[in-house]
Amino acid sequence: MSESANSSASDEALVQAARGGDMTAFEEIVARHRDKIYARAYTMMRNEEDAVDLSQEAWVKAWQRLSQFQGESSVATWVTRIVINLCLDQLRRQKRHRAESIEEMNEESGGVERQMPAVEVNPTERLERAELRERIDQALAQLTYAHRTVLVLHEFQGMEYKEIARTMDCSIGTVMSRLFYARRKMAVLLADLKSENEADAK
Amino acid sequence: MNEELQLKLQAYCDGELAGHNAGEVEAWLAKDPDARALLAELQNTRAALRQFGDDLTLPAPRDFYWSKIQREIRRQENRRTDELPVPWLAALRRFLMPAGAVAAALLGVFLVGEQLRQNDPSRAADMEVAFSDSDTFTYRDFSSGTTLVWLSYPAEIEFAEPDPGDILD
Repeated sequence: MSESANSSASDEALVQAARGGDMTAFEEIVARHRDKIYARAYTMMRNEEDAVDLSQEAWVKAWQRLSQFQGESSVATWVTRIVINLCLDQLRRQKRHRAESIEEMNEESGGVERQMPAVEVNPTERLERAELRERIDQALAQLTYAHRTVLVLHEFQGMEYKEIARTMDCSIGTVMSRLFYARRKMAVLLADLKSENEADAK
Repeated sequence: MNEELQLKLQAYCDGELAGHNAGEVEAWLAKDPDARALLAELQNTRAALRQFGDDLTLPAPRDFYWSKIQREIRRQENRRTDELPVPWLAALRRFLMPAGAVAAALLGVFLVGEQLRQNDPSRAADMEVAFSDSDTFTYRDFSSGTTLVWLSYPAEIEFAEPDPGDILD
């Protein structure tokens, strides 16, 4: 397939061509979805370098496994699953190398955030998109990997509880507990960030 | 508000609660302002995160990003090609492996048979006292066809202390 034909071809046609060994077709698929795959890796890893490396590794694996792609989901969703699994493996390896913090030990029970009153005002309303992104980025960085992952899989990936449990190799109860804690902590962090910004502005 | 109710509320927010339980949560929401505030918080956080989801751009130019992927694909394909055996060696292996297995099986059968043959009690070496009174021993090894007779002479019995009762005056 020529470069111009590639740019107008559907994902399905490109996948078909790539299965036949057409690397330019595969390059077009990468170009179309690379931001999405990188974004998913970044939200999980919180590190630009790791996110770039893992997203590239995901594309290499996708090329090698193209024959296994059944087309039940979109190619972007399929590669996103691959990158999520790579990130989870990497995070598990990293976790083995560092001591559990008190916060991590507290993660199943939910710590103090579970008991806090609800944040009444939407802390993200009236924010510019870039500001919202930065704020959420900062808050996500403060979550443990288990909480961040469960949020990413549920909110960004749209996975159901049982699917997350299977992916993270834990019970549905644990998923629900982690998700609840992660959301509450996010709400508190976002509210804190908002009040800090307002105090700075005065 | 206990943990179970909080998690039920969250499941309701995520559309993961079945009919009866959903009705229960709705009734609870109608009468509890804290529950309504918590639901609003969960919904706000979820909405903020979903907006943010894919709002990131790869910090690398297209060619640069792709070139590393391409190199890695080629490197792995070359490695796989290098690992493939040459055709004649593969053919030889295909012949040698079953032949070797058959030879090993035959050798095993032979060795087991030999072991059983040697352990056959009817063929075992035998030692018997042919004439106990004369101190004569016979050794027979059936496998080698050897018979050995050992005579003690003069017979040890002849040098034995005579029973006092046997001594004749």
